[in-house]
Amino acid sequence: MFTQSLDFKTTDLNTFPFPFTSGNYRYSNDLKKLSNVNCIEVTPEYKLQVETKRRLLEEQPHIRFQSFSHTMEMQWEVLEMLIDMAADRYPEHFEVIKDGDKWTFKNHIFGETDSFVYGDASTLPNEPLDYIGRHFHNDFVLMVHRDSNFYLEVGQVSYAALFSANWNKGMSFDEIHAPVPFVSRKGDELADRVRKFLLSIEPGKPWTRINWNLMADRWDVNYETMDVWGPQRSEITPENAGKLVRLRVEEQKFYRMPRSNAILFVLNTQFLPLEDLTLRQEWFDLTYSVLQDIPGPMAEYKGIAPFLPQSVEYLRSIDEKKKAKINNK
Amino acid sequence: MYNSPVLFDKSITIVNKFTPRNERRKFVVISDQAGYDQAKSFTSEIEGTVPVECLSINGMEDKEEIKRLILSQKMGTQFYIAAAWNNAVMIFSLGVEAGLSEAEIQTVIIGPKRRYVYCMKCFEVSEVEEEAEIAECDHCKASLEIGPFYSIVREGYIGYPYIPIGKVEVGS
Ligand code: HEM
Ligand SMILES: [Zn+2]
Repeated sequence: MFTQSLDFKTTDLNTFPFPFTSGNYRYSNDLKKLSNVNCIEVTPEYKLQVETKRRLLEEQPHIRFQSFSHTMEMQWEVLEMLIDMAADRYPEHFEVIKDGDKWTFKNHIFGETDSFVYGDASTLPNEPLDYIGRHFHNDFVLMVHRDSNFYLEVGQVSYAALFSANWNKGMSFDEIHAPVPFVSRKGDELADRVRKFLLSIEPGKPWTRINWNLMADRWDVNYETMDVWGPQRSEITPENAGKLVRLRVEEQKFYRMPRSNAILFVLNTQFLPLEDLTLRQEWFDLTYSVLQDIPGPMAEYKGIAPFLPQSVEYLRSIDEKKKAKINNK
Repeated sequence: MYNSPVLFDKSITIVNKFTPRNERRKFVVISDQAGYDQAKSFTSEIEGTVPVECLSINGMEDKEEIKRLILSQKMGTQFYIAAAWNNAVMIFSLGVEAGLSEAEIQTVIIGPKRRYVYCMKCFEVSEVEEEAEIAECDHCKASLEIGPFYSIVREGYIGYPYIPIGKVEVGS
């Protein structure tokens, strides 16, 4: 089944959110101001990613989408924001006609036209966020602000890295991050600091960060299929790591919703096989350096411990070949 | 509310022994038959310090009376529950429904605590032994490793599926 294996990678490297800026990586509050506020992006892999996402949502509805029934109004607000962004950035691909509360949304890439009554969920085939989320390749999570914390009340998650909308439903920011060995370079606890930072995010001024992981021949590694991918990780060798191990990055964006006051968490997940790192020498060098220096608890937590040494070994052999070539010149 | 506290084996309201919160204006002690002795020894320990009201119950049939007692209290009341698991859960939930926070309740459990695991294969809970590290899901028979994380919404600990050596895969 397609769910089990990954069959796409980023082909336009200019759209790949490469995660590393220095030769070693530790957890930190690495949020930065987002310069392009519009989160809608159509890449060469758009259709493939959206089709896969739709299939996952059909096949595994309980895993991929969760919500509380009281979130409808907040979901409509998200729908409106995403539709406006899409039509604004890509008028050739997306179109919206608003006749009072009678809206028509057109997705020209898929040749789809949907009419519905804004605010009336019974006029949509799915809940508002689930419906609109099926037009974009991103994951969307709505974290509702209650008592100085944020609670996961809606989640559409198709590219999980240990992220289950089902399990995390209703959890606070702190509960969600409890499994993360969240210590910074200075050794202090980060979760509290990051939560406080999120509280300060204002409407119209979104923030961004990049999360990363390695995947051993998988689309996602969720808790639901741990019995499957757990053992598979040991099949990675220095010989096959170049093709099978992908650098998986999540470009994360955080928007304060003006009406509901919730934080919309948008994820753009992209993959690059290790062998493609050589297309940009700087990316190769940084990744090689970072992967040699991953603290044990981080490697364990990320689930990469069983194939990290093979991946580093693969990069080392490439590096040596290149150096040998230079020396022979 | 979905994020209201629920009683589980590691709840912060569960204590081995009650401690008198003397800064409170009044104590309310609710016990069932199993918890009667605990309640009794606590009330005699604090006699003459803070006003106390006691209620002994039998079980579910006393739900309305418990509700009435909790709702009739003023702010600043500390609640003490001494009971076997099922009754403790009932009393605790009635308290939470009435708007009490975990800090306003102390609970002594008489006998075993119940513990549940949430299966990440079929999304159902199964009861597990207090000290168990692994379990088999009652519903889909998946082998589960019981994780340290608890969900108030799912009312169970996370159960990570794994394939024990020699067992055939149950699905993916
Ligand atoms: C508010 C929305 C957010 C949500 C819903 C969210 C959700 C998650 C989830 C589900 C995980 C995986 C937890 C697990 O292992 O079960 C995770 C991991 C993590 N999160 Fe967040 N997160 C959010 C915001 C942030 C922010 C603002 C930061 C900033 C530093 C952050 C940093 C991390 C890190 C470092 C990890 C570990 C990832 C790894 O090493 O692969 N998160 N997050
Ligand atoms: Zn099960």
